[in-house]
Amino acid sequence: MLLNFDGLGAWKWPLVGFTVLVALFLLLPIVFIVALSFGSSQWLIFPPPSWTTKWYAQLFADPRWIEAALTSLRIGLVVTVCSVLLGLLASFGLVRGRFRGVETLRGLFLTPMILPVIVFAVALYAFSLKLGLNGTFIGFVIAHTIIALPFAIIAITGALEGFDKSIEDAAVLCGATPLEAKIRVTLPAISHGLFAAAIFSFLMSWDEVVLAIFMSSPTLQTLPVKIWTTLRQDLTPVVAAASTLLVALTLALMILAAMLRKGKAQ
Amino acid sequence: MTNSKTGGPFLQIQGIRQEFGDIVAVHDVSLDVERGEFLTFLGPSGSGKSTTLYILAGFQQPARGDILLDGRTILDRPSHKRNIGMVFQRYTLFPNMTVGENIAFPLKVRRRPKAEIDARVREMLRLVRLEGFEDRRIAKMSGGQQQRVALARALAYDPPVLLMDEPLSALDKKLREEIQYEIRRIHQQTGVTILYVTHDQEEALRLSDRIAVFSQGRIDQVGTGTELYSNPSTRFVAEFIGDSDVLPTEILAAHGAHADIRVGEAVFRGVPVHGTPKLGAATLLLRPERVHLAREGGAGVPATVTDITFLGNNFHVAAETPRGEALSIRLPFGHEAASGLARGAAISLSFDPTSAHVFC
Repeated sequence: MLLNFDGLGAWKWPLVGFTVLVALFLLLPIVFIVALSFGSSQWLIFPPPSWTTKWYAQLFADPRWIEAALTSLRIGLVVTVCSVLLGLLASFGLVRGRFRGVETLRGLFLTPMILPVIVFAVALYAFSLKLGLNGTFIGFVIAHTIIALPFAIIAITGALEGFDKSIEDAAVLCGATPLEAKIRVTLPAISHGLFAAAIFSFLMSWDEVVLAIFMSSPTLQTLPVKIWTTLRQDLTPVVAAASTLLVALTLALMILAAMLRKGKAQ
Repeated sequence: MTNSKTGGPFLQIQGIRQEFGDIVAVHDVSLDVERGEFLTFLGPSGSGKSTTLYILAGFQQPARGDILLDGRTILDRPSHKRNIGMVFQRYTLFPNMTVGENIAFPLKVRRRPKAEIDARVREMLRLVRLEGFEDRRIAKMSGGQQQRVALARALAYDPPVLLMDEPLSALDKKLREEIQYEIRRIHQQTGVTILYVTHDQEEALRLSDRIAVFSQGRIDQVGTGTELYSNPSTRFVAEFIGDSDVLPTEILAAHGAHADIRVGEAVFRGVPVHGTPKLGAATLLLRPERVHLAREGGAGVPATVTDITFLGNNFHVAAETPRGEALSIRLPFGHEAASGLARGAAISLSFDPTSAHVFC
């Protein structure tokens, strides 16, 4: 440990205070939104004069919101499958491959993480117009898979690097074909990496808005796009309710991911 | 024990060569192994012993040469069709399976009936003395237990050949000796042909019927432990097996495989020579227990005692020649001269010429 917290002496308390402030700065807007979604004021007055769940009732009564949420869910699930499958294949190549340029290739796979999303969105928009993919389910899936893939690759290469290939070799000598050995021995052994990849891939798609705005059409909208367009028309606490649900699912998945990591560490 | 179908040796390694870029890892290695034999590849790291084993396992294809099992090449078959057993240096049990499932794995991929698998798993657990551990998770097993399960898994499908790649190097000394004994027992009980890789000469001597000493990608010598110790064909083998004293010497006359040599002022006649004898400088190799103190006035190599250690059944005397070469000598307890020795004493060393070796 470079910094020993207990050895800091009197400096400990300013550090604690600063950390709390950072945490509040990050979390307060979310707390604010959740509070507003249960507040009775239509004008988003804070603190709310009284509490209600009517915005949630309105939300669930509106088929356009339900449709947007289901669209997000469907796209997210297909993106998850594509991202984990492609990530798995790419990771085997990157970890096991002994060819020139393997490090360059690894960097290339991670570029969607570094590239400004708006630049990528414009490029993808122009490209998909040519192919007629705009506003289609496939177009959405492709766009989101591209940004989800780096996260899947990071999670799966990490797990695969920690897996001793001799174990797979042992399975092959036992008589399993190389593919059978991978499916029955290697994949179960790196399952924590696959789960992490799946969760992060889903989340990348689930709360992504920039690419989604470019790819969406009046008939195909994800939940974040629906929130965005609704906000531009009028200010209603229904948006706060939708946002709260979005955050809740994200939070649940993050907790699941953290639990998986902890279970692996034990 | 039946002979192989062709009448030739059971396993034949014929002129195997393996290169990695400019480096030749294995240099035309040839070796015949009998059915049921326990043969050890002994050598330092990088001597090509493990590479030879990987080629047998099918993880690498040799650049040249062939490997015949029962007279038939195995190089045309991929690893999973060779039906060879292997225990690795690292722990390679499948972490997502129990002990029983690990041992059952090779039988399951062979689509054997369930009743047969269950019986075989129990039999194998009995063989490695781990009855009752069937449902144990791998993470709950110690290193020694894991290697015993690995052994059971590798033997479950009755492979004709079992490869072992330094399987005990991760274990501590006491456990290592215990499992060496187990491996010997299992070899005798099953009669399986074992090729064992190690860099530990004691382990090789304890386990093997024969030892192949590897050095720089070649086999220097193949033989039983006593053959290698008493009649090493190269200086490397002599120094690798057992302790040895090395002295510079000069060949005065050579006749056949023997030579007359001079060490310092003393002359010894009829010492076995290895390599092509030529007059002049050579290397003399002595075993510490074959060196004795010269009688007063007899021919000997002068030395000064630097240290004496009493080891129960013998004295270990460390000495130094006037030219600064360190020597180690073992004198049996009760040796009349040994009890009178003290540090700093001047002694004269001698040896039976036939017990020494000269390398050119």
